[in-house]
Amino acid sequence: MSGYDSALSIFSPDGHVFQVEYAGEAVKRGTCAVGVKGHSVVVLGCEKRTTLKLQDPRITPSKICPIDKHVLLAFAGLNADARILIDKARVEAQSHRLTLEDPVSVDYLTRYVAGVQQKYTQSGGVRPFGIATLIAGFDPNDATPKLYQTEPSGIFNAWKANAIGRSSKTVREFLEKNYDAVMDAEATEEVNEQATVKLTVKALLEVVQTGAKNIEICVVKPKGLVQYLSVEEIQVFVDELEAEKQAEAEKKKKGKKTEE
Amino acid sequence: MDIILGIRVQDCTIIATSKAFTRGISILNSTDDKTRQLGEHSLMAFTGESGDTVQFAEYIQANMQLHAMRESYELSPKATASFVRNQLASSLRSRKPYQVNVLIAGFDTKTEKPSLNWLDYLGTNVELPYCAHGYAAFYTSSLLDRHYRADMTQQEGLDLLQLCVKELQLRMPMDFKGVLVKVVSNEGVKIVDF
Amino acid sequence: MNSVASQFTFKNTKQDFQDAQQSLSGFQQLNLAPSLALPPISQPTDFLRAHTDDSVNPDCKIKIAHGTTTLAFRFKEGIVVAVDSRATAGNWIASQTVKKVIEINPFLLGTMAGGAADCQYWETWLGTQCRLHELREKERISVAAASKILSNLVYLYKGMGLSMGTMVCGYTKKEGPTIYYVDSDGTRLKGDLFCVGSGQTFAYGVLDASYHWDLSVDEALELGKRSILAATHRDAYSGGSINLFHVTEQGWVFHGNYDVGPLFWETKAQEGSFNNVEG
Repeated sequence: MSGYDSALSIFSPDGHVFQVEYAGEAVKRGTCAVGVKGHSVVVLGCEKRTTLKLQDPRITPSKICPIDKHVLLAFAGLNADARILIDKARVEAQSHRLTLEDPVSVDYLTRYVAGVQQKYTQSGGVRPFGIATLIAGFDPNDATPKLYQTEPSGIFNAWKANAIGRSSKTVREFLEKNYDAVMDAEATEEVNEQATVKLTVKALLEVVQTGAKNIEICVVKPKGLVQYLSVEEIQVFVDELEAEKQAEAEKKKKGKKTEE
Repeated sequence: MDIILGIRVQDCTIIATSKAFTRGISILNSTDDKTRQLGEHSLMAFTGESGDTVQFAEYIQANMQLHAMRESYELSPKATASFVRNQLASSLRSRKPYQVNVLIAGFDTKTEKPSLNWLDYLGTNVELPYCAHGYAAFYTSSLLDRHYRADMTQQEGLDLLQLCVKELQLRMPMDFKGVLVKVVSNEGVKIVDF
Repeated sequence: MNSVASQFTFKNTKQDFQDAQQSLSGFQQLNLAPSLALPPISQPTDFLRAHTDDSVNPDCKIKIAHGTTTLAFRFKEGIVVAVDSRATAGNWIASQTVKKVIEINPFLLGTMAGGAADCQYWETWLGTQCRLHELREKERISVAAASKILSNLVYLYKGMGLSMGTMVCGYTKKEGPTIYYVDSDGTRLKGDLFCVGSGQTFAYGVLDASYHWDLSVDEALELGKRSILAATHRDAYSGGSINLFHVTEQGWVFHGNYDVGPLFWETKAQEGSFNNVEG
């Protein structure tokens, strides 16, 4: 113990705030969440922990939560902390509607969430939120998809695609390599949407070994259209990816044989 | 002198509110809407102290929407009315109470029944088949007592409303610039040409 | 509102608590949350009314500037705002050169009726809030939001003696030309045409008769000016000169100050109107 991480969020002599960094560790231990932007769609995906034998999966809360009709938030880290932050965000979203007569923009909501997270790194008697969030949605009267990420320190960034939580680095690198899949400017909106969902599922399969039943996917479209995919719908993508993988392996085998 | 009036019929509830917005001796606006939608199937009409009315209605509206986001379902009309009553009752015992009277029209999607609640600033809450606030009640109550039937259709309800409005136009000393009519049914809240 | 009341009601207990806390911790807690300062009397409302309401008590010591005519209307080419410039305190004309249009920022105008000080202070304050919004959101504030900031503020002070009747006028891409009427009892109304102040009925009379959506800019400015002139003629508490503004998508433009003295005779000669006046 160095003494700079016991009770308060205070600086260590080399400029670290250990409590905030530990919060980052809590995030890394949380289940993985992925967000991918398409042309006019944002997809959020989550790894869903395997439920225990006697747990009721139908009423176990989801990790992708609506903040308002047009914005969703996915998180990685401590579930209990997330509930508090999500409720604050929901109250702010309604308060914004009440006082500005406009729904919140995704940018505004991100700044608010990051602002709250920051406050908990600099106030007495509190501990930082042990969560990172992905905030996705559309601004009112706008069809450009938005995707932001916030961290326990209060940092926030905009992304085309990103992952948080367990193995997020692997998934992010995967997304960097494969983001081309949704970049095709010629593709129709429907094709692009399918490609975006597929990329999200594929990215999640990098860390989820158990397939569709442990994946949660949510598709957000303009004008507050939000669609949670069922296990069956996700299974279709998983099967498709499985088949592709098999074909790839087959091809490689054949290639090797012909070489011989 | 605002008019707010509600009639519950077989499969919907009709709400009518006067379109004039009066300040002092001038009508400032003749397209006023004295209602706020609280959810997919509930509508609140209000009258009372200017300023208080809209502030209260929008406060309730925001809280109902917040509830819907938090719990991912909307309150039943009965629960909505109880919530609003409770807000008015607590406000009454504060330093500066909201001086607002409201009607809440709803359609309960579980029981498939329309409802109409009458609430005043003192915290009275009653479910009624037809009701009004202010002077309008003096002119229309007897008329509604005479002609209202519980099994009316929406069209019959609107015809009855037409009778009420005619009476108000005939006997009320000021021009209220007609009424804005909204219908709450299982299809949600709709504005009706009137 | 309750926060205002409770702060006042429990002021003493709260203070005791804070004092106790301070003596325990040894240093003062910075109170950064906004709070309202209230005078140290039991009913600020009644106190204020007793000393300022000249309609009830003509001998009251403080007479608040009241009488006014202001108007604003929307039309095809934007918004015209016209106001008089007289300030009265009781029967006394305190000034003939008051600026009753408050330039909140280059795109927003506020008009002034009721307490001059209240309007001037809170609308300037509104300007600071709008600028902060602009800096935070990288986008100009909507007229709806700006007017709501003001109406929420006056609602917070409801019943404590604020006296304002104002129109917040602006032009944004999203909303087009927009007018909101905001007054000190918390009313906030969107509309095409408003006249506010003791001379409002006279202004409405001329304005309603000739107003239509397709007015040209010159016609609209002329109509605004003429409506205020009518009010200054009939309403003893309105007068001085007329200030004219036109609000467009590029912001507001000032269209001059007209002394109603000469303007009256010019108008009479030109229109052949005001036939109740000889000369």
